[in-house]
Amino acid sequence: MRTLALGLIVAATPVLALDEDAAALSLADQTAAKPEKSKDWRVFAEAAVRQSTHQGAGAPQHGERLSLDVRYDGSFAAGWRAVFADRLDMNRLGDVAGNTHVNTLKEAYLSWQATPDRAADLGRINARYGVAMGYNPTDYFRAGALRSIVSLDPASLRENRLGSVMLRGQKLWDGGSASVLYSPKLADRPSAGDYSIDLGATNRRERWLAAFSQKLSEQISPQFLLSGGSGQSAQLGFNLALLLNNATVAFAEWTGGRAASLLAQALARPDDAAFRSRLATGFTYTTESNLSLTLEYEYNGTGLDRDGWNELRQGSPASYRVYRSFAAKQQEPVTRENLFFHATWTDAMVRHLDLTAMVRYNVADHSRLHWVEARYHWRRVDLALQAQRNDGHPSSDFGALPERRIVQAVLRYFF
Amino acid sequence: MHCAMFRQAQTAMQLQRLIVGASVIVFSNMISAAPSAQAILAASDAIRNPGKPFGLTVTLVEYRNGKQAGSNTLNVYSKADTNSGQFRSLIRFVAPARDAGKLMLKSGNDLWFFDPASKASIRLSPQQRLLGQAANGDVVTVNLAKDYHAQLLGEEAIADGDRQMRRCYRLALTRAAADVTYDHIDMWIDVTNNRPVKGRFYTESGQLLKTAYYRRFQSQLSVERPTETVIIDGLDSNWVTVMRYSDYAWRDVPEAWFQRDYLPRFRPE
Repeated sequence: MRTLALGLIVAATPVLALDEDAAALSLADQTAAKPEKSKDWRVFAEAAVRQSTHQGAGAPQHGERLSLDVRYDGSFAAGWRAVFADRLDMNRLGDVAGNTHVNTLKEAYLSWQATPDRAADLGRINARYGVAMGYNPTDYFRAGALRSIVSLDPASLRENRLGSVMLRGQKLWDGGSASVLYSPKLADRPSAGDYSIDLGATNRRERWLAAFSQKLSEQISPQFLLSGGSGQSAQLGFNLALLLNNATVAFAEWTGGRAASLLAQALARPDDAAFRSRLATGFTYTTESNLSLTLEYEYNGTGLDRDGWNELRQGSPASYRVYRSFAAKQQEPVTRENLFFHATWTDAMVRHLDLTAMVRYNVADHSRLHWVEARYHWRRVDLALQAQRNDGHPSSDFGALPERRIVQAVLRYFF
Repeated sequence: MHCAMFRQAQTAMQLQRLIVGASVIVFSNMISAAPSAQAILAASDAIRNPGKPFGLTVTLVEYRNGKQAGSNTLNVYSKADTNSGQFRSLIRFVAPARDAGKLMLKSGNDLWFFDPASKASIRLSPQQRLLGQAANGDVVTVNLAKDYHAQLLGEEAIADGDRQMRRCYRLALTRAAADVTYDHIDMWIDVTNNRPVKGRFYTESGQLLKTAYYRRFQSQLSVERPTETVIIDGLDSNWVTVMRYSDYAWRDVPEAWFQRDYLPRFRPE
């Protein structure tokens, strides 16, 4: 009897499948969507409310932010293209009167593609290199580029920053390309003006860069870089991302050259230039349910080792503060070794719900930064809840951050 | 009498041999005229995929439990690799607004994603999906005959994408390379014109991942091609994705464009 029942189930399965297929096809018949046309503008407004708890005692602090983000990427003649990206953040803190405005002119440049394999760009460009996720040693134009930090999510830090004014040329060929760029000195110092284009933050000295990529096989396509400028020795760079299997990508990013230590630069101490390396390497594994896990090892040869870091923490508070501030502006880790973990799960059990988590771990002082986000998106609206917690000794890398806990709700509307 | 009977029998045997011989010749000619499974698959590929570099717009509409759950619009440029014969594609996201301007490059398993806002170039593994149910490989052009060995299992009548009975070749495809999206595929191809009708896509363990119906055949770039693929999830038949193709056009796509460093510059016409 049981065999008969099983037999009936097996025999009925294809019929059921066909019925299900027919129902699915009937549903598909109702599809009326027409393809949308490409737009040159992308504009969104973002409102955020946050509550933070400071290190030590004290009542929670509240704050609000309203942001407007505009990006234009359009072609106005054959081979010509104009790119403009700007963001305005209007912040208000609960116990502080008035608002603070910070405008970030991210990009404004013209691009000319003279032939399909030759192009030139002129203007403020966010030129970014690197394949790692948490720390990009070959991202040579990141120093001084952060003007308004709205989230410690690495993607947000890369997006909401100033480009550098430069002239860039690129030549492409089958399987490779070469680029050269020159970025002149245009100002002496950064500006704190609300609406300043802040050329002093990004173009305080002359810089240049050459990049060369060549596909060596189906798998291997490395990128080599050489970067230099006034007041620094040339730095060699290298980027490589490899597919290990159907679900895993490994990456390595390295730069090296003669450079002064971060401490000597920050405190204007005598030049201690030596050959120093910076490295970020790791892998991203994606599960069948589309959960991507990244583990990254970060090495900053210009940062302090464990002994040096402990000595600085126990020494002059002023030197400690100056060093931390300088490293943050350069977007360099304060110590030699860090670990970075990142997980992102798109459509996490519920369609349109994305979950992201990040941990930064300082190997020298064991302090940690935790950041999580749940983001749900409708067609034009994103709603995100973010939480951050900084753990560690009060003088440690993350334990010394002014806020111990931050909770933030963000509503974004795309026009 | 015996002699006459013997002659009659001999004549009958000669006739029988002649008939058998003629039948063998005709049958063997028939066999040699029958297309191979690989040729059927290649002919079906040629209907789905234009023979020269081209561009098109792909609109994906996703349904969950009978309701529309999302949609995407993509501009795609494709060109066959002269060495492997497999297609390489450049993809620009058009909609929704949050994804507009993002770019993807697929050249075999060399898969890159670029976000113009953060300028991040990220290498993806084939398992990382950017478009919900559809694998990255689904939205771009694929020559199945280059990646799979085909075996003809026979002919059968099945319901096509318009629920009409259609006589089809049934092909069993097994992967010829390790780096393909699906381990094996059952493919039904119209016996009269080699149009793809239906495909069932499986994992290595034999689990059905998805069923695809090819339909809405229209003349595009001089050939009657399917302008819609309906994908039904293998585990949840209430999860349906409709992929609609439009704006077909021949496009001159230089070889130099199929690399990560070109992605920031790619702008479809």
